[in-house]
Amino acid sequence: MSETKAPRILLVDDEEMVLTSIRAYLSLETEYEILAHTQPEDALRRLDEGPIDVVVTDYLMPRVTGLQLLAEAKKKQPEAARVLLTGHADKQSAIQAINDVGLYQYLEKPWDNAQLLLVINGAIERTRLLRGLAEKVEELDAAHGQLKEAQRRLIRAFL
Amino acid sequence: MADQPPAITSGASSSLDPEIRQLREKLAEAYRLVALGQLVTGVVHEINNPIGSIVSNNEVSLRALSSLRQKLDAARLAGEAPPQKAIDLVDTLLSLAAVDKIACERISGIVRTLKTFSRVEERDLRLVRAGDLLRDAAKLVDCQYRRRIELQLFVAELPEIECYPQLLSQVLLNLLVNAGQAIEGEGRITVRAAQVIGSEPAAIEISIEDTGKGIAPELRPRIFEAGFTTKPIGVGTGLGLALSRKLIEESHGGRIWFTSEVGRGTTFYIRLPVRQTRPPAT
Repeated sequence: MSETKAPRILLVDDEEMVLTSIRAYLSLETEYEILAHTQPEDALRRLDEGPIDVVVTDYLMPRVTGLQLLAEAKKKQPEAARVLLTGHADKQSAIQAINDVGLYQYLEKPWDNAQLLLVINGAIERTRLLRGLAEKVEELDAAHGQLKEAQRRLIRAFL
Repeated sequence: MADQPPAITSGASSSLDPEIRQLREKLAEAYRLVALGQLVTGVVHEINNPIGSIVSNNEVSLRALSSLRQKLDAARLAGEAPPQKAIDLVDTLLSLAAVDKIACERISGIVRTLKTFSRVEERDLRLVRAGDLLRDAAKLVDCQYRRRIELQLFVAELPEIECYPQLLSQVLLNLLVNAGQAIEGEGRITVRAAQVIGSEPAAIEISIEDTGKGIAPELRPRIFEAGFTTKPIGVGTGLGLALSRKLIEESHGGRIWFTSEVGRGTTFYIRLPVRQTRPPAT
């Protein structure tokens, strides 16, 4: 199960300096695996390569906006929690983000490390609960299928 | 009276009614603030990243240094070499210090540029390097548009020109903001500046070319009219180009004109004499 592995955080910002700072902070404070990208396209490819717990992205980037990236992330890994970390503080984009991509949290730059960590921890917990739930539902489905099959065989044996 | 330049340039030689002069000053001032205001979101965004980094790095550095100290003390007491973790922390701290340096330089650069444009006291004719004014204006506009617009600057070796730096900067900023607004989605703004060969008196020419939507032929004759704008309320004041022309032609004895092609873009040209040979008021 994915819970046994260190949580994976996908960080996306076109500014290397932001990635360096957040990566340094998270590396010091946590054991999380940090995947940091300045190119949104690279980040999207990462989403195809294995489960991600949290996607934290900037809003304004060349070619692809944070919202477009999160919309793609939602398609690729719906359980992965989506966080927008933006210096482009306007209510309109926040509302659009929440409505369109099912945002977990909206954070503004300049960010506060403690708050960022709190949000990331909450997001990891949510993702893992969702994945755990999905696994349980799958197990239940399988058990239900087996039960149905056994029932069918039982009926057939008596008819 | 209609031929008078904006009062802010006219100095003691102006014969304008003081009340009208004051109103004109206020109008020019208000317009300058509007032009700056259009760039505020970009500037805020541009400053937020380095500030976020510096604040975060400072916090991480303090914690890492205290952890480093403990690890090194423990190693010293045990008579051992520094542990790998301590070496890693030093590397982290070095990279954060490097980021802080870049971040501080970025903020200082933007603040310096903003100062150029918000200076109110500088109203005298001065010798300046036009390239510096262009680079400052471009830097500020780049904050706003760099994620969708590529800004190219080709500035040749230019002689120092005699001008009102504050007013000329305002015109450049206005033309660059217009160029940015004319481009829907992604595009390119190309700024060129060079001395005009063989011109007598000596002059320089600046061009600002955008790959925007262009100006419809029927609108072209009205582009420099005060109050004329095709932009939505809150975006355009209809004063930018009217005021720009006044500042270039009347305050500097220069010329401003444009060429445009619908769907391909617009280029504005400014030609300025290297030396002012006449009093600003005509």
